[in-house]
Amino acid sequence: MQRPQNRYRRRRIYVRRKICRFCADKSIILDFKDADLLKHFITERGKILPRRVTGTCAKHQRRLTNAVKKARIMALIPFTSGHALKD
Amino acid sequence: MKLRHYETMFLLHPELTSEDRDDAVEKFSGIIRKDGGHIVNTDKWPLKKLAYKVQKQTHGYYVVLDFGAKSSTIQELTRNFRLDERVMKFITTKLDDEFDAEEASQKYIQADKEEAQPDEASTESTSEGKEE
Repeated sequence: MQRPQNRYRRRRIYVRRKICRFCADKSIILDFKDADLLKHFITERGKILPRRVTGTCAKHQRRLTNAVKKARIMALIPFTSGHALKD
Repeated sequence: MKLRHYETMFLLHPELTSEDRDDAVEKFSGIIRKDGGHIVNTDKWPLKKLAYKVQKQTHGYYVVLDFGAKSSTIQELTRNFRLDERVMKFITTKLDDEFDAEEASQKYIQADKEEAQPDEASTESTSEGKEE
């Protein structure tokens, strides 16, 4: 009975609060044309990474999602890896 | 009518000659100007690889227009983008409800300065190197 509790406690210790990249560095402008920047926030399959993974704040995550979607429309980043062109 | 601040990006067919591309850019810029709009900056990107195939093409030329225009201009611009076969993809985004030509151009003047400065620094350092 004690085990799960211990495990829970131990896990909590390792949780480190990530800081939103766009709040930390105000000079980064979120722009859909900046494909190299957006690539950091998508998976290999082309999915948008969740906030809990990247640590982005809610405000910037909303803008990020819109930027990624616009960049996809303009063929700057792929919708899915299935249609992506190989290097 | 009030001018708004817009940004349009479009993708041109890779098999176009450089004159064809300039011609296309001029055509769309002309539509904006004719309707009382004001173009702040035109950015023509070099040939770029696309993330996925568009009209069976793997590469394309992107052009970014930064301008102020009336909302009715955008409708006309969009109609022309759809009709023009040289354009493979396009997107127009509203940057701001207000448009101030000077304020908008300030951004590009600053960017130019920043670009120019490292060049000066590098030439200085090379000249110093020669003296030594």
